Amino acid sequence: MQGNEQGLVDISITLNGREQKVAVPADMSALKLIREVLGLKGTKEGCSIGECGACTILVDRQAVNACLVFAPQLDGKDVQTIEGLNREPRFQALQQAFLDRHAVQCGFCTPGLLISVYALLLEEPCPDRDEVIRSIAGNLCRCTGYHQILSGVDRAINPDAEWRPDVG
Amino acid sequence: MNLVYQTVGQSIDKKDGRQRLRGEPLFSADLELENALVLKVLRSSKAHAEIESIDSDAASALPGVVQIFTARDIPGRNLMGIINKDQPLLVVDKVRSLGDAVALVAAESETAANAALQAIRVDYRDLPAVFDPQQALTEEAPLIHAEGNLLCRRDIIRGDIHAGFAAAAVIVEQTYQTSFVEHAFLEPDAGAGYVDSDGVLVIHASTQNPHYDRSEVSGVLRLPKERVRIIQAATGGGFGSKLDVNCQGFIGLALYHLQRPVRLVYTREESFLATAKRHPLTITMKSGVDSTGKLTAAKVRILCDTGAYGSYGIAVVSRAAVHALGPYALDNVAIESLGVYTNNPYCGAMRGFGAPQAAFASESQMDLLAAELGMDPLKIRKINALRPGSVTVTGQKLEASVGYLECLEAIEPYYQAAKAEWLPAQVPEYRRRGIGLGGMFYGIGNTGTKNPSTARVVMDQTGQATLYTGCADIGQGSSTVLIQILAETLGLEYENIQMVAADTGRTTSAGATSASRQTYISGNAVLDASKKLAAILCSLGARQLKTAASDLVLRKGQVQDRRDPSRGISLAELAALARKQGIELFGEGRFDPVTTSLDPETGQGDPYATYAFACQLALLSVDVLTGEVRVDKVVAAHDVGRAVHPENVKGQICGGVAMGLGFALMEAFEPGKTESLKDYHIPTCSDMPEVIPLIVESEEPSGPYGAKGVGEPALIPTAPAIANGLALALGERITTLPANLERVLEAGLKAGLFGA
Ligand code: FES
Ligand code: FES
Repeated sequence: MQGNEQGLVDISITLNGREQKVAVPADMSALKLIREVLGLKGTKEGCSIGECGACTILVDRQAVNACLVFAPQLDGKDVQTIEGLNREPRFQALQQAFLDRHAVQCGFCTPGLLISVYALLLEEPCPDRDEVIRSIAGNLCRCTGYHQILSGVDRAINPDAEWRPDVG
Repeated sequence: MNLVYQTVGQSIDKKDGRQRLRGEPLFSADLELENALVLKVLRSSKAHAEIESIDSDAASALPGVVQIFTARDIPGRNLMGIINKDQPLLVVDKVRSLGDAVALVAAESETAANAALQAIRVDYRDLPAVFDPQQALTEEAPLIHAEGNLLCRRDIIRGDIHAGFAAAAVIVEQTYQTSFVEHAFLEPDAGAGYVDSDGVLVIHASTQNPHYDRSEVSGVLRLPKERVRIIQAATGGGFGSKLDVNCQGFIGLALYHLQRPVRLVYTREESFLATAKRHPLTITMKSGVDSTGKLTAAKVRILCDTGAYGSYGIAVVSRAAVHALGPYALDNVAIESLGVYTNNPYCGAMRGFGAPQAAFASESQMDLLAAELGMDPLKIRKINALRPGSVTVTGQKLEASVGYLECLEAIEPYYQAAKAEWLPAQVPEYRRRGIGLGGMFYGIGNTGTKNPSTARVVMDQTGQATLYTGCADIGQGSSTVLIQILAETLGLEYENIQMVAADTGRTTSAGATSASRQTYISGNAVLDASKKLAAILCSLGARQLKTAASDLVLRKGQVQDRRDPSRGISLAELAALARKQGIELFGEGRFDPVTTSLDPETGQGDPYATYAFACQLALLSVDVLTGEVRVDKVVAAHDVGRAVHPENVKGQICGGVAMGLGFALMEAFEPGKTESLKDYHIPTCSDMPEVIPLIVESEEPSGPYGAKGVGEPALIPTAPAIANGLALALGERITTLPANLERVLEAGLKAGLFGA
């Protein structure tokens, strides 16, 4: 990371598997970098203050709210957004499970939700309900009431899982 | 009826579901238009003030600022509103609430636009403000609009309440209060637009009603309708708020003057500040019941605070009145519902249009009456339930698809089990358990007014069908359901059906995505269009197959002989044939539900063609040390006529329960205080109870394949069920929503539960 003449910071990130160098203002959020500078619109902005989870991305395989991170803090990191994850077979399996369980309504919360769940599954392939709930407690969804989302996660963990009405 | 359908009743993959899961649909804020200017709105910091002057010279001179617009730049009618027009796009001489739009900035960058907002000088002269609707009706109250502070009233008078109360064994009277509620859809309002080569202003927006947007924007700009085209972008929920023109008017104004692409994206804070809220209602209800549990009379007064502008207020006032007493037969009623202007944020449509507030009051009353009689709450509901042949408070005789009793019966085993086992179970001393019921009925479509939908189905030369509909799917899944209806009627595979939706340049109006009306009304329009096309296909097929058209059916991509399916001709062949003969294959459909307008004095009439019914049961526990409420389970039985897509119905029910739980326990928008999701909380995954959706299908003869609707009904019973459960748990009734920690503690203290 280096400051340059225009007061910008040069950073280098691995974005969706490809190394990328960009110069960013020091106070630019990672969310702005991803959406506006890099043009990746699958990461959503729902609040910009870390309350909704719509902007969730993976940074070094951890789920992070992009609106709470400054772009220069991504320097040297491995960053994955929905656009990159769309190519990963295990992520695709999660998407299929969500589709099968009708876990998407408007779809605005969906990329962030999927990524929060995915980050959990990377660490713990067979999480229990409590762990799943904790992983998405920061992802608001105003449409679904969360049940079909949980059902989708169940199915991703175990394809034979039945619909379960309870949350915990 | 036991007809087996191919597609209807199947939970097929959601239309565009895969794309949504991949994050691909473009929401308004995702649209990249080359060279687009950034728009920002300067908003009022005063609740009620005259504008003495707006000085934008310094702001205009800032680098990157292109232009600053005020009301003077509006070429047409600077008043908007779907029912009554009272809301300026940009205020003229005064502001009526916090967040009113004062000026519009167009700039080359967000930074420049923000700098301009800071630099515009507005001189206000404060006016006395009124925030209480009761006070707003008094003589001394400051006038918010020149015509007075009473927006409207709706009376429903039926029978003789004096005789009714005289016949009552028990009478209870109570006042209920609900709060402002923020829709809090996940996608903040946004839009983007450009002027196309024909000079048409093309606006992509997050909206629930593109055709209304077009008429409003063209009116504001004094342009013929054809000069404005609204295209719904992917929309991240709406719940009623995106029925108002939010960004669209500003984008139109800037396009009109600048002829350059522009974009406007609200921050979450702006979406909180500047868009409609749910009306807070004050409801005083007096109800009488005879010794057998039969309701004898009710007197209701409803005060709806519509804030500074009407928006959907008139509809809310009316619907609250019609639904005030819930799904029960009652001969003697006097209901008075008033809509009042205040200097609060304006209130508009929100999932249920006043019915959720009304259900909180009326279902609380049912439990109070039952308690006085020593009767079981389920029993009193059964005794009074609307059933086929019943007459509603507006004098409408219900003939078919009256599934309330079925909903109560579906709930009953869960209710009895909860009562017998769950409620008396040993729990720690500090926990108190309660169970509660909430019932509801809900008229599908607009109240006693025309609200047609239209649709067009076109078949190309290869036999592929395309559906053209103005219907805006905001996530709830109407596109999927409409395709199912088309596929079923034409015997097509749903995967092969193309769709063009919610684009005023390419589709005709389907009306608003509101009032739970799209499955029933637009579904019927699609059915009509499909049937017309089917008739053409059958008559073409009849000639080929040398059979009477009436013996033919459409099935599996073919026109087939009903009695001998091996005799058939594929739609592809027929379509090719039609083309040769110069016949265009299309069907145009329309549906307007049969309603009558309500009598202005007595409120009598048939305001809806059909009603949805539901009952929910809530099981909850209260921690008497902290006041914390945990809803453990909600069983939700909903009569939807027919579930065209059962998983969609379940999704609506679970989402409705979540929103209802927020309404019941945590959500209260406070003007000037709750500014973002940081201080306004909506339910998260960990707040959710177990939900058991039970789909009841009391087929609606006039519905497409028997369907009615479920979007709003899903939410309506939840808060009353929770309120009734809380009353049982605490031994003290909470009559103001939300039943937050303070109110629960207060009720508990009154009941002697805490600190004893
Ligand atoms: S936009 Fe980042 S948490 Fe809401
Ligand atoms: S699907 Fe709409 S917010 Fe989650």
